Amino acid sequence: MSVAINGTDGITYNDGSLQPSAPVGKNLIINGDMMIDQRNAAASATSNTSVYMVDRFEFQMSSVTNVQTYQQVTDAPAGFNKSLKITNNSTTQSTAAGVLCTPRQKIEGFNTAHLNWGTANAQTVTVSFWVKASVTGTYPVALTNDDFTRSFVTNYTVSVANTWEKKTVTITGDTSGTWTIDNSTGINVMFSLDTGSTYQTTADSWQAGNYRGTSSDVHFLANASATWQITGVQLEANTTATPFENLMYSQQLALCQRYYYIPAQGVNSEINVGWYYNSTWLSSAIDMPVPMRVKPTLTDTTGSSYYTMYRNNTADALDSLTLENSNNNHTCVSIYNNSDVSGTGGQAGILRTTNALAKLELDSEL
Amino acid sequence: MLKKYHRPIGIDGKLLNIVYYEENNKRVSIPFDPANTDYQAYLEWVADGNTPEEADEA
Repeated sequence: MSVAINGTDGITYNDGSLQPSAPVGKNLIINGDMMIDQRNAAASATSNTSVYMVDRFEFQMSSVTNVQTYQQVTDAPAGFNKSLKITNNSTTQSTAAGVLCTPRQKIEGFNTAHLNWGTANAQTVTVSFWVKASVTGTYPVALTNDDFTRSFVTNYTVSVANTWEKKTVTITGDTSGTWTIDNSTGINVMFSLDTGSTYQTTADSWQAGNYRGTSSDVHFLANASATWQITGVQLEANTTATPFENLMYSQQLALCQRYYYIPAQGVNSEINVGWYYNSTWLSSAIDMPVPMRVKPTLTDTTGSSYYTMYRNNTADALDSLTLENSNNNHTCVSIYNNSDVSGTGGQAGILRTTNALAKLELDSEL
Repeated sequence: MLKKYHRPIGIDGKLLNIVYYEENNKRVSIPFDPANTDYQAYLEWVADGNTPEEADEA
């Protein structure tokens, strides 16, 4: 891709279009540089079932017995500061037919609608990323639709062990199938580390069905303590890869908070004003910084006196909070407790977390 | 471990449009939003013939 910069008029691209500035929002992957890690704050975590790692990146696992370690780390190629690192257990696992071991990001349909997939006007996309792996060989990149009835699998090769390499794959847009263009999943972008035969197919063409890899790909689970790292992930409507789109931290955090947000955690973190509806019903509300994708699920870590309501010169300890209601534009939820507290109807105060383990999470992930 | 869903009663004495379950010292409250993936999982649980317990305390 070439551009001509005209200080008066803007930037002329090689397709002849004139734009006032570099395109914003070309990268359909959110948090492709792995900078945002709301859930774990760069701490190491483990699982052998599906789990979210850094923001927007899910580790889908099915029939995986080997516990996997995942972490946001500071090892990254030039131009980046963070990467996502996955480490296989020190034991090995053979790959049964139904195994899925797949880091992936589900892109919301609103953000893929312009690709016109499922129509004759389907646009080509290019996926670029940096990868570093301890096991050399071929690994798959796969795109599927929401209901996994359309799949495209292509391979990239890790040539040198434990060395950052930039990879690029270009995929012709799918003119068939149903590709959702609403707030459900538009495109699944998947970087499988191990794939059972059920999910293996022929590379480099669109297939009807749910496929993630090929028979020639590396079996990550069979390599004790194997590592795989990724960063700089970009998916753009283009026939070639352009430089990674760097966003301001605050912009990217806001994009992530559409799907996941921590209103309060730890000791003495304000939740919001609280009030007694009656002597045993305490209510409060949480405002979200951005509209979330859907009405979110509330998860609160529970324990003795994890939360406290301060009102009328009194501290009322409570163990848990429960979702009460949500507004229809997904910017506010109300919460309550009616099991631990005893107060005076009409009195208000401040509701806080009061334990290091206390945590409220709002989740509207795909 | 199978989830055990509860559907609580609100301040007006009517069932709230949420369900919750508890596991590993966490309470997970799920709104009735068809596009919420946790709610979709709950609907599958109901479709399997299960019924949430009513809970008047949260």
